[in-house]
Amino acid sequence: MKDLDNSISRTTIPKKTMKFEARRAMWGRLYVLPWFIGVLFFFIIPFIQAAVYTFNKIAISKNGFEFNFVGFDNYIYAFTKDPNFLQKLTSSVGNMIYQVPIIVFFSLFVAMVLKSDFHGRTLARSIFFFPVIIASGVVITVLKENVMMGGSMSDKQSAYLFQAPSFAITLTNLGLSPRILNMLTQIINQLFDLTWKSGVQILLLLAAVNNIPKSSYEVADIEGATEWEKFWKITFPLVSPTMLVAVIYTIIDSFTDYGNQVMRMIAGAVNTGRYEYSTTIAFVYFVCVLLLIGVINWFLSKRVFYISE
Amino acid sequence: MLNSMLDNVLNVSVKKVASHRKEVNHFVSKWVKSLLRAAFLLGMGFVMLYPVLYMISGAFKSKIDVYDPTVIWIPKNYSLQSVKLAMTTLDYWVSLLKTLQILVPSVLFQLISTLLAAYGFAKFKFKERNILFGLLIFTIIVPIQTIIIPVYVNFKYFDFFGIGKLIGLFTGEPLTVKLLNTTTPFYLMAISGMGIRSGLYIFIMRQFFRNMPKELEEAAMIDGCGPFKTFTRIMIPNVIPAIVTILLFSIVWYWNDFYQSVMFLQNGYPLSVSLTMMNGLLDITGKNISSLSHQDLWLLRDSVLVSGCLLVVAPILILYIFLQRFFTESIERTGIVG
Repeated sequence: MKDLDNSISRTTIPKKTMKFEARRAMWGRLYVLPWFIGVLFFFIIPFIQAAVYTFNKIAISKNGFEFNFVGFDNYIYAFTKDPNFLQKLTSSVGNMIYQVPIIVFFSLFVAMVLKSDFHGRTLARSIFFFPVIIASGVVITVLKENVMMGGSMSDKQSAYLFQAPSFAITLTNLGLSPRILNMLTQIINQLFDLTWKSGVQILLLLAAVNNIPKSSYEVADIEGATEWEKFWKITFPLVSPTMLVAVIYTIIDSFTDYGNQVMRMIAGAVNTGRYEYSTTIAFVYFVCVLLLIGVINWFLSKRVFYISE
Repeated sequence: MLNSMLDNVLNVSVKKVASHRKEVNHFVSKWVKSLLRAAFLLGMGFVMLYPVLYMISGAFKSKIDVYDPTVIWIPKNYSLQSVKLAMTTLDYWVSLLKTLQILVPSVLFQLISTLLAAYGFAKFKFKERNILFGLLIFTIIVPIQTIIIPVYVNFKYFDFFGIGKLIGLFTGEPLTVKLLNTTTPFYLMAISGMGIRSGLYIFIMRQFFRNMPKELEEAAMIDGCGPFKTFTRIMIPNVIPAIVTILLFSIVWYWNDFYQSVMFLQNGYPLSVSLTMMNGLLDITGKNISSLSHQDLWLLRDSVLVSGCLLVVAPILILYIFLQRFFTESIERTGIVG
């Protein structure tokens, strides 16, 4: 009887299990601690400070900064009185709206081409990924603006590569309105720009396409599906989660692009010492893009197809 | 009987002809596909490599070639004059040293803090995990420019995360240190998990750690490893491909960094920033060189700019050529997808 009692009490040890989990939780917190300190001091606090800045006018005195509360003045100035801001903001966001689908669909197309094994496949992959090394930094913008354009500043067009004046003339003769024509020529001129920005997305989508089990295609073959049907019914839905990731990555990438006009404006405002104004612009831009990401995420999440696990 | 035999022979031969035709069709269509694909890849390859080809061709042009309309890709007179001028304008070796001074420790610090945080998020369950993970996503989305000015101010009057203020309560004046124009801000941010694109790397590493089987950890624990030893002896060696990925991306992004470098430093800029100022710098240094006439400078300007770009890109380019396999294959292995 005594042995039975002992063995029963040994098999139920809830206290020790909880202690183990609690210890694990403490270790987890410890691992995350350096990051958390960073987030607190280099993200959360500056974020709140930046929000405060936007509601003040800042004067520099010998002790540091002096704050002068002005309410929404900075925002009102940005939207109504600044000649550059609204135009740059709308052109930047507008550019993003049509560039992102082009980049993502182009990446999908290239991923499909690179999917099958063929001679020189690794070389092709290296070449497609190559622009990421240079096109994300200062080099490409310096090249485009100072050199390839022959010195004249315009809106990020790789004019050297692809001019289509006769195309424009043909379209005008067809009676197309000048605004659509302008947009079309802009798109074509920027086409190569966009292919330079697709490096990472191509790799993401390539990995996604390669992850589709071959058995799905075999079943489709047995059922007699055509290549077109196989793409739209199998490949496209299974790749759609990664496409959402690629879309969001593209949007975020266009932020830290050196050539981004709004960012240049922010840096410029800092150089002239108007700290509160540049923070205001940065905040407005950030909110715009956050809204954009939110809308896209909500819109696309409904259509993204997840394999139920 | 003869009819059925004839039928058989006819059927077999028709089938053979049909399958042969199918084979030929298949063969032709395969070739056409390959041809189209090769054409597409060649075309796109040219587009992708265009900037580098442009830079290499432009950097070695002599001043006669720059505005010679018959010279498009291959210069007629090779000259290193533009390259040399670019190197002096950029103060190449000094700037390169500065770039490396910022880059090497920051990349290492970033790697350490990323691994620690990612492991914590992946393998431990604690109450605040979801909120903190949401915060992580937030750090990925918010661009650095939104918060860089307060960070700049914080570094100007740096008070050791608030400890200086506490000391100030005793001594009457808070202890502040001006950390601008040093490389310390970069190191501090990197070691605390807020380096350039750190959030993204933590996300990637977390995926990778999650994909590791729990049995491995449990076996280590049975063998007597504490949580830290499990980390160093077991987990890390298994994620080396992902570490190489992060290392490479980290190097490229720190090399190309502009906004943080230009904010935290006031002179002695790294290469990327010097490049953006090159146009103006060229005027200043050009005047100091006696062998360079005003007309020479005007002729060479474009070529010098291109040489500058090439010089800034060259080290990363060489790194890429040798390690490109790790770049391209690595994303497939990190398990973001699938």
